[in-house]
Amino acid sequence: MGQSHASHYDNLFRQALRIRLVEERIADLYPTDQIQSPVHLSIGQEHVSVAACGPLRKDDLVFGTYRGHALYLAKGGDLNAMMAELYGRTTGCGKGKAGSMHLCAPEVGMMGASAIVASTIPHAVGAALAAQLRNSGQVITCFFGEGATAEGVYHESLNFASVKKLPILWICENNDLAIYTRFKPLHSYEIYQHARSYGITSERIENGMDLENLSQVCKSKIEAIRNGSGPQFLEVMTYRYLQHVGPSEDYNLGYRHSSELDLWKARDPLVQDLKRVKQWTPEILREIDEAVLFAENSPFPTEKDLYEDVY
Amino acid sequence: MSNSSPTLSYKEALSQSMREALYARPHSILMGQGVTDPTRIFGTTHGLVEEFGPARVLDLPIAEEGTTGFAIGAALNGVYPISVHIRMDFLVLAMNQIVNLAAKYRYMYGGRFEVPLLIRAVVGRSWGQGPQHSQSLQSLFAHIPGLVVLMPSNANDVLNSYRYAIQEYRSPVLSIEHRFLYDLVFKKEDPSTPNRNPFSARTVQEGKDVTIVATSYMVQEAQKAAVWVLEEKGIQCEIIDLHCVSQVDHELIFKSVQKTRKLIIADTSWSPYGVCAEVSRGILERNPSVLKYPALSLGLQHTPTPTSHALEKHYYPDMGNIVDAVYQATQNQKVHGFDLPSEDFKKNQRIKFKGPF
Repeated sequence: MGQSHASHYDNLFRQALRIRLVEERIADLYPTDQIQSPVHLSIGQEHVSVAACGPLRKDDLVFGTYRGHALYLAKGGDLNAMMAELYGRTTGCGKGKAGSMHLCAPEVGMMGASAIVASTIPHAVGAALAAQLRNSGQVITCFFGEGATAEGVYHESLNFASVKKLPILWICENNDLAIYTRFKPLHSYEIYQHARSYGITSERIENGMDLENLSQVCKSKIEAIRNGSGPQFLEVMTYRYLQHVGPSEDYNLGYRHSSELDLWKARDPLVQDLKRVKQWTPEILREIDEAVLFAENSPFPTEKDLYEDVY
Repeated sequence: MSNSSPTLSYKEALSQSMREALYARPHSILMGQGVTDPTRIFGTTHGLVEEFGPARVLDLPIAEEGTTGFAIGAALNGVYPISVHIRMDFLVLAMNQIVNLAAKYRYMYGGRFEVPLLIRAVVGRSWGQGPQHSQSLQSLFAHIPGLVVLMPSNANDVLNSYRYAIQEYRSPVLSIEHRFLYDLVFKKEDPSTPNRNPFSARTVQEGKDVTIVATSYMVQEAQKAAVWVLEEKGIQCEIIDLHCVSQVDHELIFKSVQKTRKLIIADTSWSPYGVCAEVSRGILERNPSVLKYPALSLGLQHTPTPTSHALEKHYYPDMGNIVDAVYQATQNQKVHGFDLPSEDFKKNQRIKFKGPF
């Protein structure tokens, strides 16, 4: 099926499904120890990245987090290079020095992901300052979790972005879990409301599974930014289906109940819309098979590579 | 300031470097708390916001981690950033971005990204700057792979190494500027001098009797000590200005020590785990028997910086300590009985810095 004939929604759905199937494959492969580094899967949260990246140009930049597979793929990062990176091979997007937590694809504007919470948030400000100075017309999008909002640099960044009216879309993916810790007992504010105190237009989307609505909201925000609105803020309520790090569910730990998962799954088009899932799964799985094969057949770095790219 | 003038102050060299950067790279920015304020970072950013505009010369809120992150983001999107901190102590608040991000970007992304940027950090001293306004924290940063840490000791090194950092080098550079040097005037180097790597160490003066490796302001103290021991005892000191403390030129130092057989290290910071320790490692790992007398480290007393000037004089090493070390090493004994420079003599030699800032 030619993509040009697919409807807008079909295209979004297929991208989200592709990300989920990639991550499910990673979870399946993980016990084989081919991937010897931590993986923070985004299963349940794919829609946010897909919706936000849809309206972006290739030269628009995105900054992400260690839970970055969805963002990397949604922005157009190469699947083979990602899989090879997880396998620690030289053909990986970071030549095996990055692993799952630091995916990047500068050729499509995916500007990296950090394992230190909140640390790429000021990078978005700098990149937006540069965009403004170079008059490049770029929109910079920055993804972070709700936990990042307690870091000082988050506030330093929102403040300055607002003062300079920078072209930034802030996207807070609120899955309400900092590893095992809920947001409310430790934070005195509502995230989207607090962002408004910096003079930033901000709203919350309660259903982060509603791909169509998310996509519309992101599109209008990005258009507004492109037209000079200054920074915009979106808090998207979403849900992490699996453990913080690793390939499995962790409802047995007792910090959350699987009934919560059921509620989110009931809204999740990737769970509910089996017709579309069935339609695209086979071709996506073929692509994933090829990526895994590519990774398995790629060479490991050698000792010489250890010393490359330090300075 | 005329370019044909044969001399240049450290401060003028800084100012000239900043202007040159903004001219040479249209996509460059200079930012920091105070770059547009009335005093302009001790006069090193004078006239720049007027000349290049507030989009390129940006005053910033007091947000050191943010500032450094902004610099990284700008570098990732095609703009060369220079960020300035009027006291190095505040750079500790930017440690995360410098250590975890800037130093790692090129490596952890397999060379896909470059973050060329310059961070200037000023070390305060004297007039009671105290524990949090005087620290010279080079070893914290020089320890980290991926960072170049410079300590220019003179105006020529400022001009040459900043030009190279800004216009050619493709990774993060942290430069530590000692406030005591700002008003010192230096003879301008002949621009036709054969090029050396602008980040490399340099032999300031040759001598056969003892090697003194010094950083930043301590190069001044070493030179004063060298004059004293030459005049008093005919002792010839070889002085090496380390300049780049992150990539120590161990070969240059070792060759010098092979000749003199004696080593003194004079640094602006604490000796343990610092420059003194690192330079000593270089000798130990090559051939410790090259030393005829144990290496002597002259760093700060291993305490926080005291505020009272009555304590400061015990805290900072000066030319007197270097003269003492030279005599120990050359006489091959701790107690040598030679006269050291008097307090009055040193007072006249000392840089006069009166606050409040």
